[in-house]
Formats: sequence, C-alpha cells, structure tokens
Amino acid sequence: MTPSLSFFHTVELVGFYLPPLLIWALVALVPFLLLRAILDRSGLYRFVWHRSLFNLALYVLLLGGAVFLGNAQWL
Amino acid sequence: MAVTGVIRFLVTLIAVVAAALVGWWLWNFYTLSPWTRDARVVVNVVDLAPDVSGLVTEIPVIDNQQVRKGDVLFVIDKDRFNLALQQARARVAQAQAQARLASDDANRDAQVLAQDSSAVSAVTVETSRTRAEAATAALQLAQSELGTAQLNLERSTVRAPVNGFVTNLTATVGDYADVGTPVLAVVDSDSFYVAAYFMETKLPEIRIGAPAEVRLMAGGRVLKGKVQGLSRAIASPTAAGGLLASVNPNFEWIRLAQRIPVRITLEDVPAEVELAAGMSATVVIRPPEASP
Repeated sequence: MTPSLSFFHTVELVGFYLPPLLIWALVALVPFLLLRAILDRSGLYRFVWHRSLFNLALYVLLLGGAVFLGNAQWL
Repeated sequence: MAVTGVIRFLVTLIAVVAAALVGWWLWNFYTLSPWTRDARVVVNVVDLAPDVSGLVTEIPVIDNQQVRKGDVLFVIDKDRFNLALQQARARVAQAQAQARLASDDANRDAQVLAQDSSAVSAVTVETSRTRAEAATAALQLAQSELGTAQLNLERSTVRAPVNGFVTNLTATVGDYADVGTPVLAVVDSDSFYVAAYFMETKLPEIRIGAPAEVRLMAGGRVLKGKVQGLSRAIASPTAAGGLLASVNPNFEWIRLAQRIPVRITLEDVPAEVELAAGMSATVVIRPPEASP
C-alpha cells in the first residue's frame, strides 16, 4: 500500500495540529452510524451475539476501508 | 433455536476476526509507512567575514535584500590599502634601481677580471655577483608585496559569494570589521532543502532517490522532492566525552524510536512559493518508481 499525502494530512483545528488518523476516524463514523441504524431498523441484530463487540468490529472494519480508499492513487 | 445461536456466534466471530486483521494492517500502515510531520526547511547560510580588517565605510545593501553572486555587500575603508599599494609600488621601483646598479657592478667586475686578472681580486667579483643576486631576490620580494597590497585592496570590497538574500543585517557603517569575524549572513537561495526526521521504524521503507511529497505548513502547498540521502549517525544520548563509554545501567520498559534525519532535495519550486529556513512541513515518501 502506497502512502499518500492526502491521507497523511495534518489537520489544524484552532491552533491544534491533530494526528491524521483522527480525521479518518471521524470519516468512518458516518457510515458506521448509518449502518447501525439500518441494522437496528431491519432487526438484523437478531443474528449478533454480543452487540457492542460486533459494533466495535464493524467500526474498525469501516475505518480500515476508509483509510484504504483514502490512499487510493486517484485521490 | 440452536441454529440461530450458532449463526449469532459465527457472525460475531467473523466480524471480530476480520476487524482484528484490519486493525493490525491499519496499525502497521500508520506506524511503518514513511511519513512524518516532523520536517523542516533548511538552507545553507554563508557567514560573511572580511579578509582584511578596517572600518566599514559603505553597506550598499539593506536587510533581506536579494543579491546576486558578485554584488557588493560592504566596503572597508580603502585609504589605508591605497596607501599600502603606493608604498609597495615605490618599494618595487627602489628594488628595481638597486638591482640594476648591482647587476651593472657585477658585469663590470667580471669584464675587468677577464681582461686583466691582476686588476681586481676574485673575491671582489664574487661579492659583487652575490650582491646582484640578492638585489634580484629583493626585487621579487617587493613585487610579491605589491601583489599582496593589490589583493588587500581588492578584498576590501566584499562581494556576495552566492545568489541569495542578506539576512539579519546588524552591521552599520562605521563598525570596525575584523579579519575572520562575520559581519553579515547571506542565505544561499539555491540551496533550500528539507530535513525530514523519520522514526527509525519507518526507515526500511525509504530508498535513496525515491520521490517525496512535501506539504508546507504555510499555505498547504505541495512540493515535489527526492530523497537525497539519510544521515548515517545521530548523537548517542549516553556518549561520553572521554575514551570510555558511559553506559547508563537502566533497562527500558518503554523504548522511544529515534529520529533519523533524511535529506530531501526540492525539485522545481514554483516561483510564488517563498521558502524560509525553519518552516515546518509534512513529508510522505513514495516507493521508488519502477525503471521502465
């Protein structure tokens, strides 16, 4: 995987320079909340053993996906 | 009901295992990829000291002015050097006259000795010949002193050795400039580069000659660069001044990755980008381009 400068962008927030991963953690939060609402509405959480554990795993997967897409060369 | 229980368990297990793998990849990518936020713009600075001592009579540049190679930066009082030059010229004239006289004497003595060996003693001939040689040497000495005086006069005008900018100009007209003591600094504008400090864990991914991207904190401009080389030594925190190593008897539970400076040359910096040494930058190094 080739690192890209657009991924490792240092975000500035009112004088604080935040680590690049933080912005991607925020980006991954959006699909996570959406998916969680969908799973909740459709009742698919019936097929999940530990809901919190599953949610954590889902979030990490989405974060990995966001970072992977963020480093794609076309960005 | 038991089937649903197995499905519930399997779905969660697969999600957790996948998340663990992705998390592992993510961590490695984040910590091992060659990127750093700890980079700065560096430049060569010429500390300009005069080659001759004297009063500074003229500083035709102002602070932060752009100068080209060969531009006059400051002038040291020329009167003394002009006088020294006149003195050296007079010395040369004097030595020339003396050398002419001595060689005429030597030639005459030699001729007399050849015609009549009893008219002049061999010692006299020998003495006058040696005196002529000494006078020639004195002439050469005076000529080289003249050269030195000319050089001193030339060096009293100090010129810019590089293209760049005068920086931190604090000298004023009337200051006494000493030989070897810097009077002003010139930033070599052709020598900007980026020193990126990479954690040692990221070094295996860095190849010399690999393309690099530099994002300046100022304006977020992205500049192209190339890895020129990496520093082969950093100071050891336990190094002692003497011959014996001073080793701290500690075992570290937490070990911090050391930072190694990597030198990145900048390629075609746009004209509107004003670089200044000390600027912060973020650097990402890409893998070397496959040679076709």
